[in-house]
Parts: sequence; C-alpha cells; structure tokens
Amino acid sequence: MNIVAVTACPTGVAHTYMAAEQLEQTAKSLGHAIKVETQGAMGIENELSQAEIDAADVAIIAADIALEQPERFDRIRKIEVAVHAVLKDPAALFARL
Amino acid sequence: MTLHCTFTCSLPNGLHARPATALEHVVRGFASEVTLVSERTGASANAKSVLGIVGLDIRHGDVCRVTIEGVDEPEASAAVARFLERDLAHCDDAIPPAPVRPGERPLPRMLLQADGGILHGTPMVPGIGHGRALVIDGFAIPDVLARARTDDPDAELARLEAGLHALDARYEEELAEDGPDVAASIIRAHHAIARDPALHDHLEMSVRKRHLTVAGAIAAADAFFSGMLAASESALLRERALDVGDVCRELFEVIHGTTKVSARARLSADTVCIAENLTPREFLALDRKFLKGLVLEFAASTSHTIVLARSFGIPTLTGVTGLRTATLRDRDVIIDADLGVLITAGNAGTHRYYEMEQARLAGRRAQLRHAATTRAETRDGQAVEIGANIATGEETVAAILEGADGIGLFRTEMLFLNRDDPPSEDEQFEEYRRALIAAAGRPVIIRTLDIGGDKPVPYLRMPHEENPYLGYRAVRMYHEFETLVRTQVRALVRASAFGDLRVMVPMISRLEEARFMRQVVAEEQARCTQDGHVFAPLMQLGAMVEVPSMAFQLDHFCEALDFFSIGTNDLLQYFGAVDRGNDKVAHLHDALSPAFLRLLKKIVDDIHAAGLWVGMCGELAGNAAALPLLVGLGLDELSMAAPRVAEAKAGVRALAAAPCQALLHAALACASVQDVSRLVDAFDGWQPVPLTAPELVVIDADCATREEAIKAVVDRLYVMGRTDQPREVESAVWQREGVYSTAFGHGFAIPHCQSDALKANSLVILRTRQPVAWESLDGEPVSVLVLLAIRESDHAVEHLKILATLARKVMRAGFRERLMNEQDPAVLCRYVMECVGE
Repeated sequence: MNIVAVTACPTGVAHTYMAAEQLEQTAKSLGHAIKVETQGAMGIENELSQAEIDAADVAIIAADIALEQPERFDRIRKIEVAVHAVLKDPAALFARL
Repeated sequence: MTLHCTFTCSLPNGLHARPATALEHVVRGFASEVTLVSERTGASANAKSVLGIVGLDIRHGDVCRVTIEGVDEPEASAAVARFLERDLAHCDDAIPPAPVRPGERPLPRMLLQADGGILHGTPMVPGIGHGRALVIDGFAIPDVLARARTDDPDAELARLEAGLHALDARYEEELAEDGPDVAASIIRAHHAIARDPALHDHLEMSVRKRHLTVAGAIAAADAFFSGMLAASESALLRERALDVGDVCRELFEVIHGTTKVSARARLSADTVCIAENLTPREFLALDRKFLKGLVLEFAASTSHTIVLARSFGIPTLTGVTGLRTATLRDRDVIIDADLGVLITAGNAGTHRYYEMEQARLAGRRAQLRHAATTRAETRDGQAVEIGANIATGEETVAAILEGADGIGLFRTEMLFLNRDDPPSEDEQFEEYRRALIAAAGRPVIIRTLDIGGDKPVPYLRMPHEENPYLGYRAVRMYHEFETLVRTQVRALVRASAFGDLRVMVPMISRLEEARFMRQVVAEEQARCTQDGHVFAPLMQLGAMVEVPSMAFQLDHFCEALDFFSIGTNDLLQYFGAVDRGNDKVAHLHDALSPAFLRLLKKIVDDIHAAGLWVGMCGELAGNAAALPLLVGLGLDELSMAAPRVAEAKAGVRALAAAPCQALLHAALACASVQDVSRLVDAFDGWQPVPLTAPELVVIDADCATREEAIKAVVDRLYVMGRTDQPREVESAVWQREGVYSTAFGHGFAIPHCQSDALKANSLVILRTRQPVAWESLDGEPVSVLVLLAIRESDHAVEHLKILATLARKVMRAGFRERLMNEQDPAVLCRYVMECVGE
C-alpha cells in the first residue's frame, strides 16, 4: 500500500518525530511504502506535495493540534488519530488501513 | 536679615528619613535657626530635627521654603542651597519591587501532594529554614506606669535627662563596637532619633505640662511620633514608626532597668521566630546562630528589620494568611521564603521534598565553588582573570562565591563618607583585612581614597568647585591631606600581611604623583617595621588609568609602578570631553567609539611591552556584548559587579582569542560607533553552550515517585546553572505532562518543555535506581527519563534538529538498551551525542 502521513504534537519537540519514526518502522515491517511529513517546532519538514498525496491510497493524520494546509487532504481517504495512539499501538492503527 | 530659599521636592518617595537626615546633617553645625515650611500644608519644622522634617510629610512635587536666621546666615544659606541643588536628588531610596503576593506562585507538585499544613505569606528575604517556632509577643509600657501622674515634675525631668544621656552613651558605645555595617547604619539612625530636639521637646512638655512620669512621657512620645509617621503617605516613612518605637523602648529600659527584650531573645536551638512585629533592636538581640527564619505579620521590604534580615540572610515571610500564633508555639516548622510558604505540619512527604531542596541548593553551591576555583580561558588558551568590584570588605565573601578570581577594585570611599570623622587606622585595617582573609590568597586591589568636589566629605571641608571632575580630587589632594593618606597607607601596609594586597592610586596624571605615593608607601612600611607590625614587603603599587595623558607616557609610568587598571568611565569622560550626567551629550559617552578603542589598544600594548599587568575595572569591563573586543585587546583582567562574574567567565570560555583579535582589528579601522556596533552584533565567534554534558547524565537517581523524578531531572539543570528558575521549568514540564503522559513505553519517558526560564537548551538523562510508577502508554513503570528543555524564544534550529533525531532514536530498541544499561555517564553522554550526529 502507498501511504502518506502527517504528525504534529503540541510542543513539536518530541512526539511529532517519535510518531513519524514509529509510522516508518511499522510500515516498513508490514511492507508498505510511506512518506511522513512532520509539522513540529521547526515547521513543516519532509513536505508532502499534492501529487504525492493524490497518488497515495490513504493518509494517516496523527495530530493533536490543528494541521497546516489541511486542504491538501480533502480528496483522499483519511485515518485521523491522536499522536500517542501511534506510539501506543501501531499494529492496531495499520489494521484499519 | 532672614534668608529664604524655595524648592520643589523632586524625590518620588517624598522627603523621608534618608533625605531628612542628610538635610539635618547639612544644617546641624550652623548657629542659625533653620526652618523648613511646607507650602502645601503651611506647617513648619526645625530643620535640625529629623523627626520634625519627616513630620511635615513633604511629598513629591510639594513646594517648600527654607528660612535661615542667625549669625552665620550666608554660609548656612550657601550650604543649604548647594545641598538642594546637588545632593537632594541623590538621597532617595529606590522603590523596592512589589513582592510576590501570598499564593501567587504555583507550588511544586511534590509539596502540594505532601500537604504539610501549608500557610502562604509574602517572601521578603529568600531562603529555607527549619526550626522550633518561637512566638515573640509585642512589648508595651505597662498602662499603670503610662497613666501615672507625678507630684514632682522636676525630679522626673532630672530622671529624663539622665536617661537621655545614658541612652546617648549606649549608642556611642555600640557604634564603637565592631559590627556589621548595616547594623551600624541602623544604630546611627536610632542614635539620631534619640538626639532629636523634637523628641526631647515632646518628652519634656509631657512631664512639665501634663505632669506625666517619664514612663508616661515616653509612651506619649512613642504614640505621637509613631502615629504621625504611620499616618504618612510614604511607605518609607510608615516603616520608620518602628524605629521610633525602638528608641522609646530603649529609653524606657535605660531608665527602668528592665531587660525583658534581651532575656526573651535567648535562643538555644534552631528557631523560627514568629511575631506580629519585631523592632530592629529586637532582631539584633536574637542569636543569629540559631535564628533560621522570621515570620512577621507586618513589615515592608524597606523596614529596618527586613533590611537587617536581608543582610544576614535570614529567610523572612510577612503577611502570612491564616497564621494563628497560639497554635504554633514550640511546634516544628519549616519556613520556605523562596516559595512563600510556612509548613506548619511537616510529614514524611515534606521532609523528602526539603531533603531534595537541600541537595539542589548544596549542589549549586558546590558547582559555583568549582567554577570559582577554575580560571576562565578562551578555547585557544588565553586566560582572563575575572574580578569583582566591591565597596566594603564584607562583600568579598559573596564575590568569591560568585566565582571572582579576586577583587579588581575595592573602592574605599564608603569608609570615609557619611560620618563626622575619618576612619581610624585600626578601623581601616580591620576592613581591609576582612577582604583579604575572605579572598584567601586571591589578589585584592584596594584603591586609595578617591574623593573630591563631587563626593563632599564634611570633615575635609573641601571648597565648592564649579567643575569637580576636572578639579581637586583623589591623588591631587593627597599633599594637603597627607596625614589622612598616610593613615590609609599604613592600614593597607599592615593588612598586606594577610594576602595578596595591591594598592591602586586614582587620578594619577603626573609621574611625580606616582613617585610621591611610592615614597609614602616605603616610609610607612619603614614605620610599620619600627612599630613591630608584620607586612608583605613586596606589596604592589599601581594606578588607575583614567586621565588620558597617562596613556602617552606609559613607558615612564611602567618604570615607576607595578600594575595598572583602566577606569573606563572617567577615562572616556575625559578623553571624549563628555559629561555623561548631561542628557544632551550623554550619547557621546560611548565606549565603543573607534577612537576610544584605539586608546585602549595603545594602553594595553604599551603596558604589555613593559611586561606589566593591566586590568579593566570600569563599566565597560562588565559589558557582555563588548567581551569579544575586550578579549581581543588582551587585557589580563576584567573586574565587574559580582553578579556578572559567572556570566563573564562563561563568556570567555565560549570565545577564542584569534577571532576576537580579528574583530578588534576590524573595529579599530571603523569610521563610527555605529559601524563598530554592527560588527559586534554580527560577530559569530561565540561557541554555543553544548546541549548536554556528562554532568547532565545521572545514572543512579534515588526517586520514589514520578513527581520526585521530574523534580530531580529539573534540579539537575539548576545545579549546572542552566536555569535560575527551576520551579518555572518544572511547572512547564508538568503542563506538557498534563496534555498526555510522555512515558511512551518500554520504561522510558521524555518529559519536555519550552520555557525562557532556561538559560540554554539542554538535554538531561536520568536513570532511577528503581522503576517509578507513571501513567505510561504501556502501563509499565519508568526508569529512564530523557528531559528535553528548550528555550521558547530562541530559534536554535540546530538544537531542535538534534532533539528531533533523538526523539526518533528512542523509538529504536538498540538505542534504548544502551540508555538503560551504560554505567559511565561520560560514555553515555558521548554515545548519545554521536547518535544524534554531534
């Protein structure tokens, strides 16, 4: 499966990146392709283009705060979760894909 | 003929005790009657009475008139005019900042959970103390005595006079004893009240007209003057009511022979004193060895009792809400004037908290001591001594604790000002010796007397000058006041036996002046030998570089003297022909002007060419932004206000000499101050404080709860000087923890926060001895904490990148395993930094 994801936590210092790492590791172990954009204290990194989003099968939005540029995800199937849900049980999350 | 002058009170706090005392000082010696009239109220008072002056309640903006009548009218009038014009404005006390109100600060989690009967108060003097509660009741002259009438007023008047004499003598005696400066200044203030004609008149009238006994007259005078002061609009004056009460009680004691106060004050174990009110003398009577804290119902930060408590570092709270003294008597209490609480029912939880607090404070002290014994060197090995500027010997201890490598400037003027006679040789010797002993072998540069027209000293009878800065001051008046100078030099020579004392002479512009001082030192050393005093024969003699002409003859001065220190304030004032007190030209007083930097470069280079030592003790030395230029100049020492020392040392360590020299070189070639400022602002030679260090890795922390672990990890930042406000940081961490737990599983938690209470972005790793219960994602307890503490307003992208990488790393089992098991903090620190690519 071709997945795009965004992570964003309240302080943007730690959990944004922990969740991104968790998503990448889990996707890899399950044989999925994934690109994770982080919206943290340093702003948007590893930014997803509209073309990348449009080409994906599903978007995982792991955010505790309002997302930057949410309209990019208007046309794609979204799974929205809290950041800590990614850390707590990534297997359950990927089972929903 | 009567002389008049009018003025408008410019002091924000009004004409309170300090300016009133200064005015009384000015007019005291004249025969003329001097009367002060408030145009606002029409009331008038004898200007030779401090109580009379303050009783006028003259406020900011009030128009006042002074009338002078008597044989020496012209002289008295000139003195008053000079005082009003030049000195009055400097007599004010700064208005102290509003203290934190009870309950305003959030309490640490640990303490709240312990619930130890917490009462909130207003912290006046910071610190933590623990002891038995001693309740001190107020004192009042017994009613029976106060209301009694006498049949023999003359006998009572005789008793009163004898009592006033005895009181005068008692104060004189106490002032002669060697005590702390602040206590002496308060005794002097009380002495002035006891001599005040208004007080004497009131006492006499009560006996003569109302036939009161002496005791009754004292009670009446106390009620009258305290009432008058208490009704004042000025907080500073209201505080003085307590001082009047103190003097009245003292007088009562002298006459009636009661010594209740001192008997009650005897302490034999650690004690926290609780009182509605405590007078300065009652405070002084307490044995400070056992006095661990003070809880007062009423007292403002300017009251003399609080001033004393502050100078002795006794933790003090006021206005404690819900305080019921009767129930506290003899109970074990903890006073925490950092937080503003009184713990009245301590338990295991509060004890554990204060145990950790003690460890935190002791850890910081040890760290500061370590920094104090380590010299500051640039990254490429250029050493710069960082000294402290002081004005009294007793400041030395605090300066050394702040990390000073020595005393770069001990201004001795304070010893000579605000008194009627010059200090004796022995008094000076004790003062200098105190500084040398506290400095424990570090150099102490003591500047000889620097007074003149701008700092008038009554007993020297200096003539009034139009332009005192260019006039008769410092070394220029040493010939006329040779006895005074020789007394000081002898005290210095004797004190040299106790450490590395160096004598520095101000305002030298001619070689003859340096030679004269050399000769005086040699002669006084010879006299000390004759008198059997021990001293250091090779005591160094140096000069302030503050008259620009000296800079052009340093080859000769270097032959005559041993060392130099640049006084940038005066040097710049003379060099740039600019009075910095004059708002119209103050902008020209800029030490970063290229011409001034060229002068400094010449001074340092010429002195170094002769192989001698040169420091800097003016304001520029403490200017953090100018530090790269000062390092570039190659100064041997920078001396500044003690609280700046630690930062300056850290600054030197973050620099390298070579880029600083390049910066200076570029600055010297600049055309304007603005160009220099731009260069300094753009300077990028500072090495940032590293994110972590082996000292920020703790592998065996004794923590039983999540609260303890978070406190421990934040306390580490405090101990290492990365924050001065650990409670603010802790509260920010808890705020984040409140969004959702940062314990993400596997026995790990990464508490974090963004807060400007931090001085530097930091990473702390703390491993607990046993796992700690935590609301973790996988329900498991936590044994490794990784604290990410980031400054809110910095955009330190480099550090954020590292932390982002670290956050990703903790999701990997191999990394976590190493954090869980590595035994050497230094190795762990290096491993973590390597993993995140540093």
